[in-house]
Amino acid sequence: MIKQLALASSLLLIFAAAPSPAQVAKNINVSQDQLTKAGSDSRNWLHTQGNYAQTRYYPGAQINTQNVGKLRPAFVFQTEVNESMETAPIVVDGVMYLTTSYNHVYAADAATGKEFWHYKHKMGPVTTFCCGPNNRGVAVSGGKLFMGTLDAKLVALDALTGKLVWETQIADPEKGYSETMAPTVVENKVLIGTNGGEYGVRGFLKAFDADSGKLLWTFYTIPEKGHEGVWADKDATGRNMHRDIAKEKAALSQQGGDFYQTLGGGVWMNPAIDLKARTAWFVAGNPSPDLYGDERPGDNLYTDSLIAIDIDQGTYKCHFQYIAHDVWDLDAVSPPILVDVRGKNGGSVAGVIHGGKTGHVYVHDRKDCSLIRFSEAMIPQENMWVLPTPDGARMLPGANGGVEWSPMAWEPKNRLAIALNLHQPMTYHVEAAKYPGGSKLWLGGAFKVIASEKQWGRVSAVNVDTGKVAWKHDTEQPLIGGGLTTAGGLFFFGEGNGSFNALDSATGKKLWSFNCGAGANAQPVSYMVRGKQYVAMGCGGNTQIDFKRGNSVFVYSLSN
Amino acid sequence: MVSGQDIEAGRKKAEACGACHGPDGNSVVPLFPILAGQTSRYLYLQLRDFKEGRRTDPQMSPMAAPLTREDMFDLAAFFAAQKPRPTGFKADEARAARGKAKADETLCTMCHLGGFAGQNEIPRVAGQHYEYIVKQLRDFKKRARTNDAGSMTSVARTLSDQDIEDLGHYLASLQ
Repeated sequence: MIKQLALASSLLLIFAAAPSPAQVAKNINVSQDQLTKAGSDSRNWLHTQGNYAQTRYYPGAQINTQNVGKLRPAFVFQTEVNESMETAPIVVDGVMYLTTSYNHVYAADAATGKEFWHYKHKMGPVTTFCCGPNNRGVAVSGGKLFMGTLDAKLVALDALTGKLVWETQIADPEKGYSETMAPTVVENKVLIGTNGGEYGVRGFLKAFDADSGKLLWTFYTIPEKGHEGVWADKDATGRNMHRDIAKEKAALSQQGGDFYQTLGGGVWMNPAIDLKARTAWFVAGNPSPDLYGDERPGDNLYTDSLIAIDIDQGTYKCHFQYIAHDVWDLDAVSPPILVDVRGKNGGSVAGVIHGGKTGHVYVHDRKDCSLIRFSEAMIPQENMWVLPTPDGARMLPGANGGVEWSPMAWEPKNRLAIALNLHQPMTYHVEAAKYPGGSKLWLGGAFKVIASEKQWGRVSAVNVDTGKVAWKHDTEQPLIGGGLTTAGGLFFFGEGNGSFNALDSATGKKLWSFNCGAGANAQPVSYMVRGKQYVAMGCGGNTQIDFKRGNSVFVYSLSN
Repeated sequence: MVSGQDIEAGRKKAEACGACHGPDGNSVVPLFPILAGQTSRYLYLQLRDFKEGRRTDPQMSPMAAPLTREDMFDLAAFFAAQKPRPTGFKADEARAARGKAKADETLCTMCHLGGFAGQNEIPRVAGQHYEYIVKQLRDFKKRARTNDAGSMTSVARTLSDQDIEDLGHYLASLQ
């Protein structure tokens, strides 16, 4: 008894001695002007993809091709969550905001790693998500942070204290909706899409008021009428997709088009924002069910598409579909980048580019979404488009791509889009399956990797004006995670084996590497504090490719 | 935790389950699954499917038939909160290694998570009884169990009997 009492009192002492939740010791107030000009701000990293054009290009050059060899860890920030890490830390005025799986948020000193506060989202009883309990980060605007949650909520936190300001339900998790993407904030609107293409959701991009959490508009990626489209028999590159269009038309007239409510088309990476044109550019994912097409005759618009909408009203402007009636899950995920490109007739036009799971970089005209060109294949392609069979049909690329959700980075000097690719030979299997009610994975089949065939990864730098691959850098393992380019002539990216690397962004030559001990599969960022440049990269592994898990963000700077 | 998801209420209601599944969900009969530590979402959906006929079993179907939604939530919450105990299964190391290779090839952990810990509606399989695992994979393969919208049937279709047994050795030996 005495022993128990002693133990109890020592526990009390421990609790009493534990630090009270700290507060960020400076004012955080990110203006719209700062968000708009983030592309030329070398002090902060204000958007998940760097800036509204989503170039992931950092304009500072303190760390460069000449001195990157001296890059060393400055500190390691350990979280309490040992699970898949995809976060892009947001850095404001020397304060870093990072997230982990299961919706934890940490605020820390971006030069020392000292923790200010830790927020754990109180998860609801029902969550439905495939491919890992991921989160890709917060968005910042004013004095608030915004995060989407696995139970399909949007939460707003006080950036100083980490206290919840408001939360709102985005969609019903019981029906398969969940959130892993970081939101994008523009002019006090918080834009966020949804996961759920593996559960029969109806995809969307929604806008919420940053002050109140009130829903302002919803753009559904699946129109109620007209989702059958133009009955395209070829993909964006002109290859035949072997559709039985007569059979599909008969099925549509027989069953009607009400399946729009379960047709998928998730949006789970950030939209790019063209403020002048008042346009949001994003891509929509696969139709549901992934592999079994008989349930969903037609082109399944706007799945597997690039989409442009008005940011004030959320209304449709244009779209371009890469694969109509997809039965391979080779959809569109990697976030689009807005850059000027060489147009069809030679002159420079406002362009938008997307790295596809097909292994092509697609270059579009922002005027009407039309395709200007597509790059040569960045990875091997074979048997495209053989239809899935019950026993499995081999086709390359495998269902993870090509380019998965991995954001590309833009190298302006040589006009390169630098993409992280996977090579994972797979067989595609189909299995007839009716909509199971929203609580269960609905693939209509399966993908399997072919054990006897080697898997690997490839960094490919594509000249967007010619579509040619300027350089490539192969890796032992498939690549998943973000890239980062810098004005110092560097390209940073990570591997599943823990290597975090810097290449010369003009040539692809490897200049530096550090092994962080778990999969480096998050999204790297760069920033400055008191005149010193840092590079930060999450090192927590990946669920989808099953890379070794960790719990840390590593932050690097030049050694003296 | 939602209202109606009550571990203590579930403990009382679970008395009827104990004979087969063990009082704390650690069954000792290898054909009856271990429920301790299973995800509550999966337990709820399986009970619902037994009740509504999407999954059938001569013993479980009548047990689930009279349950209310609240009963099912309570039972799911109770068993999910129990600690799974090692079964003492002695895996054949070579078979377990082959099973792991087959699991990697089949991308099992994309849904079942690393270590087969399960998540939400995707069950924990780590440390489950060998006999139960093998029976479920065989049932999925021959479409005797179809309440998962076909994913597992598609996965199991290309598994040989030996593959299924190898997977059983691997999964039963995880903790």
